[in-house]
Amino acid sequence: MTSSDRSFPAFDIDASFVGDDTVLALRGELDVHGAPDLSSYLDAMIGQGHINIVLDLSELDFLDASGLSVIAGETIRLRLSGGSLVIRDPSVQVGHLIDISGFIKMISVEEPAPALGQLGRLGPEQPDNPPGSPANSGIHELSQQLRMVTSIPSNDGVVDGALRLVVALAKATVGGADGVSVSLRRRGRLSTVAASDQTITDMDASQYATGEGPCLDASAEGRWFHAESLHHETRWPAFVPRARALGINSILSSPLLAHGAPVGALNIYSWATAAFAQKDQELASIFATQTSTILGDAGLDTTEEELASKLAEVLRTRQVIAQAQGVLMERDGIGEHDAYTALRRFSVEHGSPLSLRALDIVESVRRPQAGPETQVPAGDHG
Amino acid sequence: MADGLSDVLDVFRRDADLTHGELWLRYFELGGMSTHLELEAFLYGALRPTTHDHDVIVHALNERFSEMGGDHPVPYLEDEGMPEPI
Repeated sequence: MTSSDRSFPAFDIDASFVGDDTVLALRGELDVHGAPDLSSYLDAMIGQGHINIVLDLSELDFLDASGLSVIAGETIRLRLSGGSLVIRDPSVQVGHLIDISGFIKMISVEEPAPALGQLGRLGPEQPDNPPGSPANSGIHELSQQLRMVTSIPSNDGVVDGALRLVVALAKATVGGADGVSVSLRRRGRLSTVAASDQTITDMDASQYATGEGPCLDASAEGRWFHAESLHHETRWPAFVPRARALGINSILSSPLLAHGAPVGALNIYSWATAAFAQKDQELASIFATQTSTILGDAGLDTTEEELASKLAEVLRTRQVIAQAQGVLMERDGIGEHDAYTALRRFSVEHGSPLSLRALDIVESVRRPQAGPETQVPAGDHG
Repeated sequence: MADGLSDVLDVFRRDADLTHGELWLRYFELGGMSTHLELEAFLYGALRPTTHDHDVIVHALNERFSEMGGDHPVPYLEDEGMPEPI
């Protein structure tokens, strides 16, 4: 058994080799400072042919989204190359982060040893590949797993957070990707909602400014635009010189679709010419699909008016239920929860939505002649 | 017990073919007061909802099952004699 050590100010990696497995014990804080170190360490290990990696997190005190992105990205990369990456012994806090982020479905967390049974709660949804099994996930299976990562509520801030994660994952996973961005059309204009760095943000901005480029075309036409070599590129004559001035040599823009309609683009930039192999183009497609799923979930495909109308309906229903609770509390002299329970039980017994019962009760107060129970106080509950 | 029930809740959510976001919106529409992150934590068993919150989540799921042509398969804690939360 051999071992090697590398030290970082607040983050340490200690490697040991057990059979075919390379066990990396992570210590300290894996955050935006430690994540690049882990990434380059894993690159070096994988480059040496160590493709079955176990990350021992028992002494990791802190993990944030940047660290999580590296772990998820390397998991995908290793699965594609026939290897595996498995998490061992996360602390309860780190385990919860992995759990709540939705990555539990993608990252393999090793079954805890019997003595560590308290970690069993991490496994409500175990990954398809049991740890240690031959990892032969093809593109299709990977696509299925990625699709499961979506747990995105209808909230712009959270959606943007998820898109940033997609950007980080695509950059870590797609070979040749030096920079990644997501452009979305909001209020009729394209803008960059997530980008891996400032150069990439500038790259997108150059396209908006010149009114041309693969990102704009993918967003408008809903199909792929692949510029293999900007040196020989004849499309987009105003934009291409700006890209080359920033050192970009190839670009892959995939359309983002929501219910079949293009709403933006996932852009992958590379310093190299012909950077994207067939496999990388397929991966980019998976990420574009994943991003589209997030957008679909968030209802961004609907117009502002449709979204506003849906939210107004939700709020109106909520208000009617609260009013009905008020009526029952006053009429029957019961508490708030009991009033809710009464509504809910009626709904269950009659197989009708709770909101309809609530509406009936509110209406019965507004129009006393509607029913026999006319002694309900006709107060204003609004 | 609560952890076990919560795990079951996420199984029902998947059976109901709802994303976490969609379930949260339905729960919110029915008067739920917790954030989407808290709801996810309830479903995964990382946080324990009050009996009332639990039953609002259950009702959101059951109404969804009704829409899909089923009955109300998810049991309510309150109807099983659990104490009311304060």
